[in-house]
Amino acid sequence: MYGRDETAGAGGWTRARALRAAFGGGLVVAGGTALGVPGRLRTSAAAPSKQQDAEILDVFLLLERLQSALYRDAVRRGRLGSDVLEFAQTAGAHEAEHVRFLVERLGGQAGPEPRTDFGDVPDSDETFLRVAIELEEATIGAYIGQGANLTREEVGQVAKIVAVDARHAAWVRDLAWTSPAPHAADPPRDPAAALARLRDQGYLR
Amino acid sequence: MSELTLSALDRDEALSEAIAELYGQTRAEFLLGTTLGGAAMLAALIAPPDAAAEVSDRGILNFGLRFERLQATFYTEAEGIGTIRRMPADKQRWAEVLGAHERAHVRILKKVLGRKAERRPFFDFGDATGSDAKFTRTAVAMEDLTVALLAGVTPRVHNRNLTAALFGLLTTEARHAAWARHIVGATPAADAFDEPRTLSDVGGVVARTHFIARRPSTSRRRRPRFTG
Repeated sequence: MYGRDETAGAGGWTRARALRAAFGGGLVVAGGTALGVPGRLRTSAAAPSKQQDAEILDVFLLLERLQSALYRDAVRRGRLGSDVLEFAQTAGAHEAEHVRFLVERLGGQAGPEPRTDFGDVPDSDETFLRVAIELEEATIGAYIGQGANLTREEVGQVAKIVAVDARHAAWVRDLAWTSPAPHAADPPRDPAAALARLRDQGYLR
Repeated sequence: MSELTLSALDRDEALSEAIAELYGQTRAEFLLGTTLGGAAMLAALIAPPDAAAEVSDRGILNFGLRFERLQATFYTEAEGIGTIRRMPADKQRWAEVLGAHERAHVRILKKVLGRKAERRPFFDFGDATGSDAKFTRTAVAMEDLTVALLAGVTPRVHNRNLTAALFGLLTTEARHAAWARHIVGATPAADAFDEPRTLSDVGGVVARTHFIARRPSTSRRRRPRFTG
């Protein structure tokens, strides 16, 4: 049985108020601050542009590459239980496709492949699930927070990716016996915090 | 897959009207004959609209509201008639959380729309809420449907705060879909991209399953037992 959920909690009402204000106020964009959208998005109140698309897609690419690397390591080592291994294989194949897709959309502007060392994380279900959940949640939160600053063409492209990452998040949380859908509406997150934690732990060099 | 068609479900045609507004009348008539959450419906919803008509954000939010009400009504009806209470504990938990989320989505969208929120539609789920098996099958179909729907409309929104909010609803619905699929032993994430088949594939699906698009009638029919 899962822990307590934030099903219809206060967050939804706060967001509703913020949105109503935006909606009623001539649909003015407040740079995401009304939704608590952090980091780069807040500074990029500028209208969506191809250059901004490239910057945002590159952040998504880094997150997708990290997930891909973790799942690839886990499958290669083969030490996970069968249910968890099945997740790593399936999600790993999806993340690899997400990486290819984003690299293609970025053309020559894709950043370098990150250097990763997940140590013994992929050797046990417990540690693997913990880091996988953290990465999936960081990725979803980044898409929510920054996706809205993309041009509409790219919004359509990443919507198809973030939905699959959210499916992964629910699946891996279910495997870890934690609620697959902890919020009535998923919040935006600043990926910088998750990336800093990964660096502190030595997983991302 | 659910065997419930949109035309049977959409008693006062609120959903088909909303689809006609966003996607054009031809698509709306086609969708009426499709099975809820089926491949044909998913593909038709995610494909670009026939005409490149600009729809206001308010129109898109009201469209979303109708589908959130569809889901909320479904879960509330299943709770009301005791179907969820009779399910095993893990499924009960799942159904209750999804119901609470869908009702929260309705409240959020109603609050955002304020007095612009459209009237509450009526739905007839037939016996889809009456048994664990039928309820579960329909829930899986409906959650996949909502993912396709939100993935389709999110790029059409103009206001970036609303776009961000729709992303947050999209990911929640995708979690629901994955959780529902995991519950029934299906792969929670079947493909790398949440994009159903192309419209040309749909023709084949329709032919194979003998889905026939029907023209919406203009008469009002009976009211169902529960509304969301």
